[in-house]
Amino acid sequence: MVEVRAGEEGFHPDDFEDEEVPHPRSWWTKYVFSQDAKVVALQYAGTAIFVGFIALVMSWLMRIQLAFPGALSFIDQDHYYQFITMHGMMMVVYVLTAVFLGGFGNYLIPLMIGARDMAFPFINMLSYWFYLLAVLILLSGFFLPGGPTGAGWTLYPPQALLQGTPGSQYGIVVMFASLCVFIAGFTMGGLNYVVTVLQLRAPGMTMMRLPMTIWGLFIATIMALLAFPGLFVASLMMLCDRLLGTSFFMPAIVQNGEQLAHVGGSPILYQHLFWFFGHPEVYIVAVPAFGIVADLLSTHARKNLFGYRMMVWATIAIGVLSFVVWGHHMFISGMNPLFGFFFATSTLIIAIPTAIKVYNWIFTIWRGDIHLNVPMLYSLSFIVTFVVGGLSGLFLGNVAVDVPLNSTYFVVAHFHMVMGIAPLLVIFGAIYHWFPLISGRMMNEKLALAHFWITFLGTYAMFFTMHYLGVLGVPRRYYELGQTAFIPPSVTSLNIFITVLALIVGAAQLVLVYNFIRSWRHGEVAARNPWRATTLEWQTPDMPPPHDNWGPQAPKVYRWAYDYSVPGAPRDYIPQNQPEARA
Amino acid sequence: MPTDLTVAKKSALRQMTDDWSADQRVFRGVTWGKAMMWVFILGDAFIFACFLLGYLAVRHTTTEAWPNTAEVFTIHVGGKPIPFLLIIVMTLILDSSSGTMALAINAAHRRERKKCAALLFATVLLGLTFVGLQAMEWRNLIAEGLRPAHNEWGAAQFGSCFFLITGFHGLHVSFGLLFMANIARKVARGDFDDGRRGFFTGRRGRYEAVEIMGLYWHFVDLVWVFIFALFYLW
Amino acid sequence: MTPATPAVDRQHSGRLFFVVWAWLFALSFLSWLVAYFGIAGIPRWSLISVFMLAKAALIVAVFMRLAWERLALVFAIVAPLLALVAFISALNFEAVYIHSQRENYQGVKAP
Ligand code: HEM
Ligand SMILES: [Cu+2]
Repeated sequence: MVEVRAGEEGFHPDDFEDEEVPHPRSWWTKYVFSQDAKVVALQYAGTAIFVGFIALVMSWLMRIQLAFPGALSFIDQDHYYQFITMHGMMMVVYVLTAVFLGGFGNYLIPLMIGARDMAFPFINMLSYWFYLLAVLILLSGFFLPGGPTGAGWTLYPPQALLQGTPGSQYGIVVMFASLCVFIAGFTMGGLNYVVTVLQLRAPGMTMMRLPMTIWGLFIATIMALLAFPGLFVASLMMLCDRLLGTSFFMPAIVQNGEQLAHVGGSPILYQHLFWFFGHPEVYIVAVPAFGIVADLLSTHARKNLFGYRMMVWATIAIGVLSFVVWGHHMFISGMNPLFGFFFATSTLIIAIPTAIKVYNWIFTIWRGDIHLNVPMLYSLSFIVTFVVGGLSGLFLGNVAVDVPLNSTYFVVAHFHMVMGIAPLLVIFGAIYHWFPLISGRMMNEKLALAHFWITFLGTYAMFFTMHYLGVLGVPRRYYELGQTAFIPPSVTSLNIFITVLALIVGAAQLVLVYNFIRSWRHGEVAARNPWRATTLEWQTPDMPPPHDNWGPQAPKVYRWAYDYSVPGAPRDYIPQNQPEARA
Repeated sequence: MPTDLTVAKKSALRQMTDDWSADQRVFRGVTWGKAMMWVFILGDAFIFACFLLGYLAVRHTTTEAWPNTAEVFTIHVGGKPIPFLLIIVMTLILDSSSGTMALAINAAHRRERKKCAALLFATVLLGLTFVGLQAMEWRNLIAEGLRPAHNEWGAAQFGSCFFLITGFHGLHVSFGLLFMANIARKVARGDFDDGRRGFFTGRRGRYEAVEIMGLYWHFVDLVWVFIFALFYLW
Repeated sequence: MTPATPAVDRQHSGRLFFVVWAWLFALSFLSWLVAYFGIAGIPRWSLISVFMLAKAALIVAVFMRLAWERLALVFAIVAPLLALVAFISALNFEAVYIHSQRENYQGVKAP
């Protein structure tokens, strides 16, 4: 029994937190119902990558239809809309969010801050199973009568619920139900990540010594916890509108000469709730990428991160500001025009901390000892891609420019660059970077280089071209263009160009999978700390790290994460847990 | 006692920056579970805020008049109409359950097993009464013709908001009751005194669970304060 | 370093909770009286809001014991909650605008 301390009746952390992490007792609890964050991470990432391949195949099908209309006869309009919706929603929520927070978050947070596991391993495990359930519910849409919803990933009412939109019967219900489950599951994980970063750091690990990766994951998780409520409530209200015939979002509508039962709802309210989630969401996938890329650049250029404090504050500023820019997705929605002014301004302001980060990445590698290995290449390609996407974002942030460009391929180009491809490149870079830690082996560099060049050049050429299509006025979400006077023939050839690239890039992802699986078994055995990195995850007693990460002796932290090439030090890096500069 | 207010304030702010700059943990003296519950409450508060702002927004956009809640929620006692009678009783009951919960936490702090268990069971009973009254309210209104999609008193969104918001809150209360009954049982059985391990988590139970449960319960009461004022009385 | 938390910390007897409990009753009852007497318009809204906020403050500060927590936690909780107020007001503003549009273009009269 715990003694009550004199003068202090409350509960004190020191009384309890000595507890060891729960040890698995059987094969099931070790590999399936595991409470070890590292296993949960792999489960999360594996499932997400599986979903990613489904989404990729759908993008193939869409591209084939766009370049060679009618070539695949089973793709009719309805299917096209279903593909576009599932592709978008899967990529944004079920792939990128899950890989970054569920995958990298789970793996790296405890290791990089010097904790033994997450604060609540059981809830953490549940988080994954909820996620899996959400994925299964989502996929069940493909097997229901009418198929999955085809309302576009934004799922706007009223059309999402109206007859005529594919999947308005069951697909849309399944979609919202799946989102609700996803959010519940994510919340369980998210609480863990936040509390773990706040309360479980190693001795000596202050907030201002956290590697940027952790800062990115941490801020993104907080944003997710506060942004998902908007989507959750919107989903529940949509479910009511669909299943109970209420009119939260459904105005009075006449369809086929018949007045529907809905009255007086507010479709714009849905858009507000959706984008209150939707905009932070794009930063939820971007901010962890920012963090990871900062660490990769610093490690592989053997130079300290430029302006660490500035980077931290810029991340926080982005997190806060991203909650007040959602209206830039609604310039043409008919909302209050005063909002247009406000949101345009806030959107341009958020570019400032973002630009600070870009400058700092560049200053980090400036005159560094740049090792052009695969993680570094991916990081560099991220900067290039992200800057292009960010610049087109500045265009779209201005009301007068957005009005004509909205709903054209310019927007498709913009968001694929900035939140689709850029974070994806970081994921790839991060996989190559941390693969040795996870598996104890190196990935094959030749295959990795091939994968890199095809992916980077391919996606860049693909999506850069789309800006041009957008300026020509090619509309987004069109099944086929048909004979339209204002669309020049060059569009057709460019569409073919993009599609061929999309097929090649998509196929090249198999190289990554092959490399991953092969190297897991047969890869060259990695040296301890092969990148000579300073951060804690490489300083574990074993590689891959043991179940409780640290064995008997938990680490102590003496310095920040960026002591590379310190003058006078014997090696060109000093791990965070090393007391003196000389070893 | 420091008499100079500015000094006192400065030191509190100073303490805050110190806490945020410290190693190991930001919230000193706060257990992991409590920190987690606070963060959860923050997220949940955003959910309820979205419900309430959704309600306010549809109420203002709809073109039909909003029903007069004082009439809808009236109960006749001896032929005399009393507006919001059931609601105020429910409110007082939920407030009371918060009171017993606060006392239960106090008892938990002092490791007073029996008192703590008794107070927790009292809270559960009060909570059950609240849910029961809510069910009664739903039944009455449904009998009078209130439906999620329509009603006779005015804007259709009134019923939609009513069922969705009170339903979601009621769900919170009910889930809370399940967990609380379980914790009450554990306290009564002495699990927290002899450190028995939980069935699912395999971790030792602690009196701290009472305090964390209490945070949740008070939050549910807090949400009701806003529903009471903004939905019923507004 | 001396802890800046006041000496009453964690020492409160049950009394304080009874006092707050009584206040909650009183405030609930008062807001009910506002409705009972059918006070309308601005006085109604302001009274109800004041009682609502007072109740909320009591619950958070005493029952949830935020008053005895260190400022680091208090700020982390309260700041986002304040942001919510801005969010709710913004969308309220928007709703009123949409209603005005409906009045203008659909000939709907204000309720
Ligand atoms: C090889 C990679 C990819 C290809 C070939 C591809 C292709 C496409 C195509 C053809 C569309 C439909 C455009 C239209 O008809 O208007 C689309 C939409 C979309 N994509 Fe991708 N995409 C890829 C990767 C990604 C990634 C990584 C993301 C993650 C953010 C993403 C997110 C979206 C979204 C949100 C939409 C909009 C869906 C909608 O309008 O409802 N895509 N993509
Ligand atoms: Cu945005």
